[in-house]
Amino acid sequence: MQDTQTTESPSIPSRSSTSTQDRSSTVGQTLSSAPQPSKPTPIIPPLAKSTGPGSGSGVRRMRRIIAEDAEWSLAIVPLLTELCIQHIVKNFQNNPILKQLLPEHQKKVLNHLSPDLPLAVTANLIDDESYWRRCCTQRWPVCHVDNHGGSWKRMFFELHLENLLKHFIPNTTDPAVILNLLPLCRNYVRAIRVDQFLPPVQLPAPPRGGDQSDSGSEGEMEEPAMDHYQLDNLVAGLSHLEELDLVYGVKDCGMNFEWNLFLFTYRDCHSLAATVKACHTLKIFRLTRSKVDDDKARILIRSLLDHPALEELDLSHNLIGDRGARAAAKLLSHSRLRVLNLANNQVRAPGAHSLAHALGHNSNLISLNLRLNCIEDEGGQALAHALHTNKCLTTLHLGGNELSEPTATLLSQVLTINTTLTSINLSCNHIGLDGGKQLLEGMSDNKTLLEFDLRLSDIAQESEYLIGQALCANREAARQRALNPSHFMSPVTVKGPENPAG
Amino acid sequence: MTCPPREALGEYLDGKKESEEDQSKSYKQKEESRLKLAKLLLCGTELVTNIQVAADIREIHRRVEEEEIKRQRLEKLENEVKTSQDKFDEITVKWEEGKQRRIPQELWEMLNAQQVHCAGLIEDKNKLISELQQELKMKDDQYVKDLKKQSDDICLLLERMEEQVKNVMKTFRQELQNIEKAFEVERQELLTSNKKKWERALQAHNAKELEYLMNRIKKVEDYEKQLNKQRIWDCEEYNTIKIKLEQDVQILEQQLQQMKATYQLNQEKLEYNFQVLKKRDEESTVIKSQQKRKINRLHDVLNNLRSKYNKQVKQFQEENQSLTSDYKRLVLQFKELQKAMRHFALIDDKRFREIWLMNEEEAKDLINRAFDVDRIISTHHLGLPWMAPDFWFLKNVGPISQQQQKSATQILEEVLMEAEKEGADEDSSESETYLDLPKQVSARTTRKILMLLCDESGFLIESKLLSLLLPLEKNECYLLRLDAVFSALGIENEDDLYKLVNFFLKYQTHHSPSSQEPLDLRAEKERSLVDGKSQEKEPPPSPKLIHPNDVLKILEAFVMSLRKPRDFWVPVKLLKAVRDDSKDSEYWEALTTVIPATTLNLWDALYTALEKYHLVLTQRAELLIENSSLERQNTELQQLLQQYLDTKINSELQVPPTQVFRVPTK
Repeated sequence: MQDTQTTESPSIPSRSSTSTQDRSSTVGQTLSSAPQPSKPTPIIPPLAKSTGPGSGSGVRRMRRIIAEDAEWSLAIVPLLTELCIQHIVKNFQNNPILKQLLPEHQKKVLNHLSPDLPLAVTANLIDDESYWRRCCTQRWPVCHVDNHGGSWKRMFFELHLENLLKHFIPNTTDPAVILNLLPLCRNYVRAIRVDQFLPPVQLPAPPRGGDQSDSGSEGEMEEPAMDHYQLDNLVAGLSHLEELDLVYGVKDCGMNFEWNLFLFTYRDCHSLAATVKACHTLKIFRLTRSKVDDDKARILIRSLLDHPALEELDLSHNLIGDRGARAAAKLLSHSRLRVLNLANNQVRAPGAHSLAHALGHNSNLISLNLRLNCIEDEGGQALAHALHTNKCLTTLHLGGNELSEPTATLLSQVLTINTTLTSINLSCNHIGLDGGKQLLEGMSDNKTLLEFDLRLSDIAQESEYLIGQALCANREAARQRALNPSHFMSPVTVKGPENPAG
Repeated sequence: MTCPPREALGEYLDGKKESEEDQSKSYKQKEESRLKLAKLLLCGTELVTNIQVAADIREIHRRVEEEEIKRQRLEKLENEVKTSQDKFDEITVKWEEGKQRRIPQELWEMLNAQQVHCAGLIEDKNKLISELQQELKMKDDQYVKDLKKQSDDICLLLERMEEQVKNVMKTFRQELQNIEKAFEVERQELLTSNKKKWERALQAHNAKELEYLMNRIKKVEDYEKQLNKQRIWDCEEYNTIKIKLEQDVQILEQQLQQMKATYQLNQEKLEYNFQVLKKRDEESTVIKSQQKRKINRLHDVLNNLRSKYNKQVKQFQEENQSLTSDYKRLVLQFKELQKAMRHFALIDDKRFREIWLMNEEEAKDLINRAFDVDRIISTHHLGLPWMAPDFWFLKNVGPISQQQQKSATQILEEVLMEAEKEGADEDSSESETYLDLPKQVSARTTRKILMLLCDESGFLIESKLLSLLLPLEKNECYLLRLDAVFSALGIENEDDLYKLVNFFLKYQTHHSPSSQEPLDLRAEKERSLVDGKSQEKEPPPSPKLIHPNDVLKILEAFVMSLRKPRDFWVPVKLLKAVRDDSKDSEYWEALTTVIPATTLNLWDALYTALEKYHLVLTQRAELLIENSSLERQNTELQQLLQQYLDTKINSELQVPPTQVFRVPTK
């Protein structure tokens, strides 16, 4: 520490002329030609004092010309600034000096800092991306910085936090581990993406209480508390949190599989609902593959009503039925939701009805995904009716919904009218040959649709091909429009005759 | 020279067209590649997503089958339950039957049958269980198979994705190469065409150059020919001119000879003349020396005289100085004396006036008292109406004075001073100042006329005086200048001055009567308020209207008119200071005889009558006093009587005296 104290002052040679020693040494290093006969003698005593045991080399270093060494020249003597920087790097953990340095020196220091420094030192001090990039690449072999807004620092903290959350075991791990990190990362973390929550370790100890009922279990009352980590404290501390992507489950369980590992308890659900409600900056909320049933979905969605910022809600791969769908429909009219994903749930015709009703008056929703549900023709027709009045939706996914010809008829009418839809997915339905023909008719009047997925839906190949051609023409027109919005009409007419010929 | 740019322009245009074609070629290539790539991407993603779609549909089929199987299983179970229930019922019924059996053999048989039935039931159940277990096993197998299938799917997906990526990269690279090649070809074409163009242009340029060169050579030859021609012509001309000039030279030489001869002749003549002149010059030098000597002598005399003159000048200057100092002293003394005299005169005047006033006041007091007495007597005692006598001297206050003649300069001074004062305190003191001016002309107009006069008649003043006046102050300067002017004009006293002023005004009215009417009316009104004695109806116009150019004419006219009556005014000047006291005695006499002798006689008679009346009155007064004393005595007696009557003795008496006689109440 004494050494750091002594080197602290010479680290800023330009700003302060500290002692005769530094001044003469810098002069000696920078000006090789200007000899100062009177100076060298008073230099030596303080030098010997400061360097202590290694004074021999120090003396050698301090001498400006060493006659006995033929290869010696001033060029190989490291600059004092260089030495200081090395020293700062070496002692950075104990005495972080960065902001006081000149920009070029800061860069050097950052380039030489070890990525293993404790976060408490570096988190709020270093903003340099290259340093955090080194940290990330050292820790994780694959880094997609684009997923984290292009910021390495943000990526580091998000992944670090995710790692901690993934391996957090309730009642065993100390919660302070995460909460201690909070003040360091609160300004940088914008998204939490966790795809596993470990349950508490099964101990013979008695369960904490019977106040929470675990519906996900097989109904055994003596089931031990299977609650996962409660996010409320963490989320409340993160002031910039925008994305929350959670999966309540365990990965790589192998032969140790138990249903208990995949439990999303009511207590978890309530706490998550409160957390999400309290987080006013949240824009994206995803809760997938977590066995969320109607009741839990209702609890969550109720807490999301009138949320000020929420834009995307993803509840795919759950067990949501018609009641949950009705709740989602209510949410559509009570929020500014732009993306709603209910893929792979158990929504049937009544749920689709309520969703369609909400969609008819909605002006925010852009994307709706109902893949792998079972809304059938009844629900499909309702949705198609809703699309007559809706002027906002651009993407609609109805793949694998047991739809057939009546829905296709209505959808073809929608296609002639609607000018906002750009992508429709009707794959894995039983549209049939006639339905395909009707859709082709509808497509012939549409100029905006860019994607229309009709794979494996029992359509004649001819109509599928023609629809594909129409989509191609639309895409070309859209491209022309994007390129030169003022006169896009002429290319369209030029390209027009090509389509039927091809 | 105008041709090449136009050509270049044309070429440039051609090049542009060509490049456009080229552009379209590369554009076509780009468009082709783009379409190809888009198709590739679309197909690739479709290929990749096909797996997902297939999985989806498989899942849907599985779900449907699952549902079907579930339904069948439920049905089966229900049937089973029904049949087993029937069997069970049968068995339980048979138990009842068995109880009624008495024969052991029958019972055994029945029990055996029962056992067989139960075993059958259990076997059925076991069969069902094993069936279900079989199904479960199959499901497990199915699950494992599904898992395998899914992993295969994922592998396939990965493979396809990888393939897709590879394909896309390959095709992208290929298309890039294609596009690059297209561009390269285009560039080559462009280069060759441009090179061709360039060569063509160069050739054209070379041809032009050659043409120019030929032209130049031709021109050079032409010029050379012309030069030669010119040279020959010049030579000929030169020769002719030379001959001519030589002839001229000969003629001139002849003339020169002639001139030389005349020159010789003239030289001789001039030499003779020169000799004559020399002689004359010698004579003149002699005369000159004589004259010089004479001049020297005269110079000496002049110097003597000059020194003498200087001496004299000095002497006179000294004398002059002493005399001027004497003069100054005398002037000062005189001025002081004058001041004292003026002072004394003023004091005397004042004192005289005070004494006069005092006496007059005393006399008037007396007169007033006499008048009062007279009034009282006549009104109160005689009952006659009394009239206050009206005499001129009663209204007189102060000494009787006559306006004295003043000299023109004094007037001037006064006028100027007054005008100045007026300027200082506006018109408030106007009425006072007018009293000093007997004539109708206001001080201001007078002043203005005088100023005009002063400014215009500067020629009347001596130039020396003017130079002396320069340092003096303005007012004094005016005074002195006017003094000089008046002395030149012959104006000596006040009347002359006023005459002059009036003359001016009259002159003005004669010449421009119409223009000054409105001004006149106001001025006249003012004047009539101040002094009622104005005899002349002549309205004095504003001096502003007198044009400076007219001043000289007026002056001339005035001098002509003044010349005649001038002599009469000379003696008047001496009398001006003597006060006229002839009227004083008359005044005082008149004051004494204010009360006429008739009234005095009346007063005497009245006095005697009044004395008699006074006597009678005194006697009456004495009688009145006596009467009053008697009355007092009477009242005292009455009081005494009353006192007696009121005493208590009256009540004690049998016959009170009050009842006897009536008390006199009063």
